[in-house]
Amino acid sequence: MSIATDPKLGLIDGPVHPRLAALNRAQGWYGWAGYAAPSMLDTVEFEYFALRNQASLFDISPMHKYRITGPDAARVLNRLVTRDVAKIATGRVGYALWCDEEGMVIDDGTLFHLGPEDWRLCCQEPMLTWLLEAAWGFNADILDESREIAGLALQGPTAYAVLCAAGLDVAHLRPFDLEEVEPGLMISRTGFTGDLGYELWTAWGDALPLWDRLWQAGDNLGLRAIGYEAVNIARIEAGYMVAGVDFQPAHATERLHRGHTPLELGLGPMVDLTKGHFNGRRALLATKPRSLLMRLDVEGFKPAQGALVYQAKRREVGHVTSGVWSPTAKRNIALAHVQIPYAARHPSTLWAEIYTLEEGRWDRRMARLTPVKSAFFRPPRARATPPDLI
Amino acid sequence: MRPQSSFDAIIIGAGHNGLTAAAYLARAGRQVLVVEKNDWIGGAAVSRSLHEGWTYSNCSYVCSLLRREIVRDLDLPKYGLQVIPYEGGASFTPDGDYFAYYSDHHALHREMARHSPRDADAYPRYAQMILRQCRFIRPFLLRDAPDPASLHPRDLGEMAYMVKQAHGLGRRELAETLRFWTMSIGDLLNEHFESDLIKAHLAGSGIIGTGLGVYSPGTAYVLLHHYMGDIDGGIGAWGFARGGMGAISAALGAAFEAAGGTIHVGADVAQILVKEGRVTGVALEDGREFHAPVVASNMDVKRTFLTHVERAALPEDFTRAVERFKIRGSSAKLNIALDRLPAFPAAPQHASFLRGDLHVSQSLWELERAYDDWKAGRWSARPYIDMLIPSQIDPTMAPPGSHMMTVFVQYAPYDLAAEGQRSGQNWTDAARHALAETVLDQITIACPDIRDRIQHMEVRSPLELETEVGLTEGNIFQGELTFDQLFFNRPVPGYSGYGSPIAGLYLCGSSAHPGGGVMAAPGANAARTILRREWPRAPRKGYAA
Amino acid sequence: MSATRTFDAIVIGGGLNGLAAAGVLARAGQSVCLLERAPHLGGLAAPDASGAPRMAHLLYNLSPVVRRDLGLGARDWPFKTVALPTVALSEDGRHVVTQGAKARFADGGTHPDAAGFAALHQRLTSYAALLRQLAEAAPPGGDAPLLSSARLKEVLRLGRVGLGLRRMGKPEMRRFLQILLSNAYDLILDDIPDSPLAGLLAADAVRGAAAGPRAPGTVFGLLYRMGHGGGASLPMGGMAAVIDAFAGAARQAGAVIETGCGVARILTDQDRVTGVITDEGETLNAARVLSSGGARITAEMAGLAHFDIEASRRLRHVRARGTVAKINLTLSSLPAIPGLPDDLLSARMVIAPSASYVEEAFNPSKYREVSPHPVIEALLPGQTDPAQRGAQGHALSLIVQYAPVDLAGGWHAAARDTLLQTTLNTLSRYAPGLPDLVTGAEVIPPDRIEAETGAPGGHWHHAEMSLDQLLTLRPAIGIGRYGMGPSGLFLCGASAHPGGDLMGLAGRNAAHAALRGTP
Repeated sequence: MSIATDPKLGLIDGPVHPRLAALNRAQGWYGWAGYAAPSMLDTVEFEYFALRNQASLFDISPMHKYRITGPDAARVLNRLVTRDVAKIATGRVGYALWCDEEGMVIDDGTLFHLGPEDWRLCCQEPMLTWLLEAAWGFNADILDESREIAGLALQGPTAYAVLCAAGLDVAHLRPFDLEEVEPGLMISRTGFTGDLGYELWTAWGDALPLWDRLWQAGDNLGLRAIGYEAVNIARIEAGYMVAGVDFQPAHATERLHRGHTPLELGLGPMVDLTKGHFNGRRALLATKPRSLLMRLDVEGFKPAQGALVYQAKRREVGHVTSGVWSPTAKRNIALAHVQIPYAARHPSTLWAEIYTLEEGRWDRRMARLTPVKSAFFRPPRARATPPDLI
Repeated sequence: MRPQSSFDAIIIGAGHNGLTAAAYLARAGRQVLVVEKNDWIGGAAVSRSLHEGWTYSNCSYVCSLLRREIVRDLDLPKYGLQVIPYEGGASFTPDGDYFAYYSDHHALHREMARHSPRDADAYPRYAQMILRQCRFIRPFLLRDAPDPASLHPRDLGEMAYMVKQAHGLGRRELAETLRFWTMSIGDLLNEHFESDLIKAHLAGSGIIGTGLGVYSPGTAYVLLHHYMGDIDGGIGAWGFARGGMGAISAALGAAFEAAGGTIHVGADVAQILVKEGRVTGVALEDGREFHAPVVASNMDVKRTFLTHVERAALPEDFTRAVERFKIRGSSAKLNIALDRLPAFPAAPQHASFLRGDLHVSQSLWELERAYDDWKAGRWSARPYIDMLIPSQIDPTMAPPGSHMMTVFVQYAPYDLAAEGQRSGQNWTDAARHALAETVLDQITIACPDIRDRIQHMEVRSPLELETEVGLTEGNIFQGELTFDQLFFNRPVPGYSGYGSPIAGLYLCGSSAHPGGGVMAAPGANAARTILRREWPRAPRKGYAA
Repeated sequence: MSATRTFDAIVIGGGLNGLAAAGVLARAGQSVCLLERAPHLGGLAAPDASGAPRMAHLLYNLSPVVRRDLGLGARDWPFKTVALPTVALSEDGRHVVTQGAKARFADGGTHPDAAGFAALHQRLTSYAALLRQLAEAAPPGGDAPLLSSARLKEVLRLGRVGLGLRRMGKPEMRRFLQILLSNAYDLILDDIPDSPLAGLLAADAVRGAAAGPRAPGTVFGLLYRMGHGGGASLPMGGMAAVIDAFAGAARQAGAVIETGCGVARILTDQDRVTGVITDEGETLNAARVLSSGGARITAEMAGLAHFDIEASRRLRHVRARGTVAKINLTLSSLPAIPGLPDDLLSARMVIAPSASYVEEAFNPSKYREVSPHPVIEALLPGQTDPAQRGAQGHALSLIVQYAPVDLAGGWHAAARDTLLQTTLNTLSRYAPGLPDLVTGAEVIPPDRIEAETGAPGGHWHHAEMSLDQLLTLRPAIGIGRYGMGPSGLFLCGASAHPGGDLMGLAGRNAAHAALRGTP
């Protein structure tokens, strides 16, 4: 009655797994859409600093990618997302989010306007059924490209230099531009780190040679492969939210009333109520926000991840979804959901209740919270065109 | 010393619900006697040794619904209960393929995508909807079903709770819930999935134990009835009781006896004694009598009131309502001792899903046709089977290297048609043998060598389930799980509160709310009602409080 | 070019529901234009050119509330109706005649189950009378403010139903709550042995439905028919008289009715309805558009982009699978039915010799096949109203069940012939020699019904009348109270609450919803 492991269980290899496996000295893996993805390769802090100081390479192939084509492609997308996709020109990338009929955010992602009647949507959650439902009755085709297209995120101050060294000319790419720089290789100036960076998109089978090419080019530019933990610090610094962490995707809420509207996520400007009907529009017009996802500066040095938020130390009014010490901004930063009247109150009297474990002893600390308007870290190099080499 | 003949309460039938009710009453300090007609306890939750070396869970065979509140209250693990979740399941096809269900959602996604990428994507939303429904219904299982015609504060309170829960859903979710409860599992699955095999695999839970087809309205609820259990908080997970389903009954029996209770086996009740509208005890077939002011019957409602209580003691309306109660046998069972694990040529080596529930139905239409056969009084030409080999993970079920296989079969009518007559008596040895051949033919889709592996086989038609366990027509739920027989309509309108027109006489079996399955909720709820009504001052602990 | 015409409201479709909607709106002072694609009014009720019935042939449920709202008479409709007895045909010639709650044999003999039938009939009609109140308004569950008059009215109405329930007494109230969700087969056979009498009730429970009597919820089908006592009646002058009355009421109140004028698109601007464009390209302005077409077609006319993705998903899943074919025969002379006195040839005749027969007839339809032994409702309308006898000979109007719209292989000529043959074979078991009298036959399968009337799936009710598609769930979640999608768009056909069956309530209720302005 011995039981051997089922070969169909467990994580599967992504397109650059051989390289990642060789580099992953820490053997730190996590499951990302079923793929083995590195949480860290050796040391989180050095991976993080490579991202902010040199250049970093991170495999984003497990993202879900969908191709939307056909005469009605833009109509379908405008039906889907809250912003007006007509304003995303060909050759541009746009951040977008989409809601269910009750105005609750299903997911967010990036829309790549590849050509006339040709779009790609990249997102975290599986979305095939939803896209097919959105396209039903319209002249548009939906294709799941998740397993056909691989993506590598090259991020950091020397990212541009690495591309130059690899013989790829992207000097003219402004933030959110995309271009097919070589047959079968598309580069977009996008990323999830708030820094100078690019995402490179190619066929699944071409990802490994592309990795090697970049790796070689980065030899003298401090290029380092990194895991998700480093990326996570950077994205909190940039103020980006993650589905399932900072908001619960509406289609994945098993308990009722756990969803959030775009307004509650602080993304009101992403909603265009004048463009005509889109999913959830009527509900968004009729509902008022109940809470707000806030960027907060946390007193002290202990990360506030998971802390409950209190009004004047007494009344529980929210909770921290992401909290981390920012090694670049040298601040203790957090994203937190806070109930609406308290979220807007000035001056803020919000506190976080942080539990700490130090040398075998749990302790509780109340830390004062200060709202922060924009991203915690937003370097000018992220926007310079053409970018600097270092 | 003369054996005791007077008790505070007598429970008729040592099924899991009877034992549960008994244990709660005993723990509240009552002198309780359980009388059981068979020479063993357990009702339909038994482990039997019908072939030397093998243990059969020969009626119920897997466990999920058993309420965790009850397990904890009665301290069942202390009395030997261990429930082990099993790993996934599969449906096999005649052309050598299969669809495997994995509890790991990435593995499941990849396996589904092999059959249909759309279905793989659609599944998480489907599962999330089912989980929402489970969350909604679970709090109702251990509460009383109110009588909507009553103005009693308790009924009004329960109605208010119901309204509050419904209101809390919000308008859209309430509508979705009403729709879910009234639709068929076939329609529901068609809305989400395109692969016939995947739909057939998922549909099984919508029909198991019922006299309905996959396209009959209300079968989505039946599916929910099979999903609302849990193992260690994993909602919808199913498992094996180590040592077979009898381990549950054994633990309940031991918990009951540890609380001072008495069990008499081989004690077949002939008559429930009633005097001036009040129950006084029971008379056994062997002439013995036991007396108690409270009697709770674990028998189904028909068997309790139509054959064990004098008709004159009951109001005619009540008797008519009980006669109208639908208990329809729709399933049969094969229990097989295997000399070794049969080969599943389609399955990859080390496939974990073989340790789960295995099926061979190909489409919803095949399942619907199986139902048509049943309506006409035949067993299905291509029956739905729910087949498991628990001995793969439970070492107590068969000798090392050998295996025990349990095969649930649907549909098989109780009143089999033969020569123009429909009757349970048509279940002759020849008929049972022919049924077994039909089922084995179905099994060969998954394992072609099944016939060569058989050391011993028990074939149980609905008739056996009726004569041995006492379930009328061999219905495993003690009554159909249709809208008109659920919640405040179960078992009959006006008597959803476990009581009866006879003072002191209660129902504590699956005929009562919330219905069948090895859940123990009817037993626990009945005990709570009995304590409240008969001994309002008695100390109560745990869930019974 | 003439100026664009502007109305307060436009009604799409001139069936009874569309006409009722137009009439109610017009009588409330609205300027209304009704557009009907066909060259004639009436939809499924429209008669044959000869005056004989073509699709619908009997009335069960014409609502006095509709009559009142259309101003068609305080006590009676402006046309005469004749209540017909029903004959449950039996192969052995022992036919059963029912009229109201009474049942007897056709030869005058006492029926052994007459008492059981009467009790059941009485019980069901009393339940149905109670439920009727729910049919006479939008289904409960609106989002009107708690203290608004609309909400108060709703609470009052529900209170009246609750009070009616209480008045029945506890046992009957409990029984009601049980029976409501039950299946017709068990309900009937609990009280009546399986026989033509049981078969008749079973057939009535599932007439027009894609369900067999064993399906949970089918008791509702019986109750639905019994809202006004359950008797079938024949309008003198045929359905034309009914249509004329409805259309006349609307016209008199000032409604413009145009036939031969289909709607191509419903126009919207800023999430509000602004009018329609006709098939001929004319734009008509209106702030309200009421459509008596199917829900999905209506949404498509307005453009799916104006609907949430969930809404279009639900519209796609509305079940409307027609299972009924209409066959109109012309007979050279009256058929002889052994055991049936000649005067009963005017009755509604039903072939459903047992409840099991009905269930068995249903089985093949699940697999997209025609029943080899169909359930048939037969009517010789000329026996009651000579005006409906047809052009020559005797018109025999047949409702044949089950003949699914999605027949495997499609409804080509051979399939229609097979259905005709099957039907004649079945008829000849009760009326030997009838096939020899046939001089003309028209078979109208559900796909034809859809093509001619726009009824989705050729389904009489535009959407299956099953429990998961009733009240606020009808035809789909989110559009259960007539309003759908952009503001000003309303559903007023049979797929809306409370459903079809030549009743006019859906149209009338929708008109009231439109008058209130918001869904």
